[in-house]
Amino acid sequence: MPPASRAGDADARYNGSSDPLSTRAKRGANTSESHAVAEESRTSFDPMSFDRPHESLLTYYILISLCGVIFAPFIFIPHLIKYKTMRYTFDHEGVSMKWGFFFRKEVYLTYRRLQDIHVTRNIIERWLGLAKVPIQTASGTSGATMTIEGCRDAEALRDHLYTRMRGAREGQVADGESGAHADDDDDPVVLLREIRDALRDLHREHPS
Amino acid sequence: MTAQVERAAEWVYRGIWRVLSSWFCVPQHPPTLPSHGGEVRSFHPSIQFLKYLKLYFWIVLIVIDLLLIAAWGAVFWLNPLVGLLLSPVFLFVIVVPDVLAYIAIHLRYDTTWYVMSDRSLRCRRGVWVIGEHTVTFENVQDVKVHRGPIQQLFGIAKIVVETAGADEGEGENQFHIGNKAVLEGIDNPDELRGLIMDRVRTSRSAGLGDERLPQKAPVRWGADEVALLHEIRDAARGLA
Repeated sequence: MPPASRAGDADARYNGSSDPLSTRAKRGANTSESHAVAEESRTSFDPMSFDRPHESLLTYYILISLCGVIFAPFIFIPHLIKYKTMRYTFDHEGVSMKWGFFFRKEVYLTYRRLQDIHVTRNIIERWLGLAKVPIQTASGTSGATMTIEGCRDAEALRDHLYTRMRGAREGQVADGESGAHADDDDDPVVLLREIRDALRDLHREHPS
Repeated sequence: MTAQVERAAEWVYRGIWRVLSSWFCVPQHPPTLPSHGGEVRSFHPSIQFLKYLKLYFWIVLIVIDLLLIAAWGAVFWLNPLVGLLLSPVFLFVIVVPDVLAYIAIHLRYDTTWYVMSDRSLRCRRGVWVIGEHTVTFENVQDVKVHRGPIQQLFGIAKIVVETAGADEGEGENQFHIGNKAVLEGIDNPDELRGLIMDRVRTSRSAGLGDERLPQKAPVRWGADEVALLHEIRDAARGLA
């Protein structure tokens, strides 16, 4: 069942650092793009260009529909609509996603309010090099706020989200502390204390 | 003899792992976390957790196998010929699920990884469905530590790290996409809990995405007032 070309180091494939990238690099070569472009895409995943799920998501949907045996068409049609209409928009502040034809859904969220990033892969998804990236905000919905599907490079996507969520970078935790002690000599509390001490000394030297 | 059995078991287990990793793309190495100079720890649950799981395994095994053997005996008693014919079936049903369950326990243990940096926590678990969960400590609302009676016996605990919006009971299912990161089988829960809560305590926000809100500025005296205070202090000192 698993294609022979996929034999190799499981970790590299699981982490998406080898297979999706190498296929992408291959595709880049096939469409006669320069190798430099392929090299470029190897170093950084560009979520801005990720607006449609990868084609293998359709394969995945077909496979899971087939699990429904006689109900396969009824499972497949909503998934096909979802696949065809799914659009992502990543920008510097957040991500939005919309899908649906009869019932259209749109989800908007900002990276900063992300709380949990999951990455789940079942076995079929792993064979296809796919992953689901359900992400959550603090809303009380049970289940994911948004599930990003059809990403071939889920680890890069996860890292993209992770580095933009709160608390993942330097200098965010200690923000409130800077500037608290500007200059001791100009601190009114210090000054007042000094005045008090000076007056006390005065009092001690000249008791009334 | 036992050493040989152990070696054979290890060999079989490694073979299973090879199949899992090359055919089923199960990663063998722990997940990574970007480090910011701080130490990144990655660890499995405590080895006690494995024993804890095996205890349940043996209890269930004994109960079910005794029932199956009783059923087999009953068939024998009613009709020895049918009992004899059914013996391969019974042996299969008695032995094979046990072996599979035993392997599954080991796989569950070996595929459960916890990775902790000074900023975040990542858990990964699962063989068929591999789920990974990342939370930053900045977003953590509370930490719960559960110790059941048998867990206490083994000296392990379950730590549940919750972010805002976590639902009661959602952590029951391991693979629920929830706001709870569950660390099972931890043998130093107090240390881990302390580490996590230290990070949460140093956080200046409520953990709800408000870190850029201006802190309520303390009332400060302006330059004029400070200059005046300087004068008063110097005057007071002059008097002294």
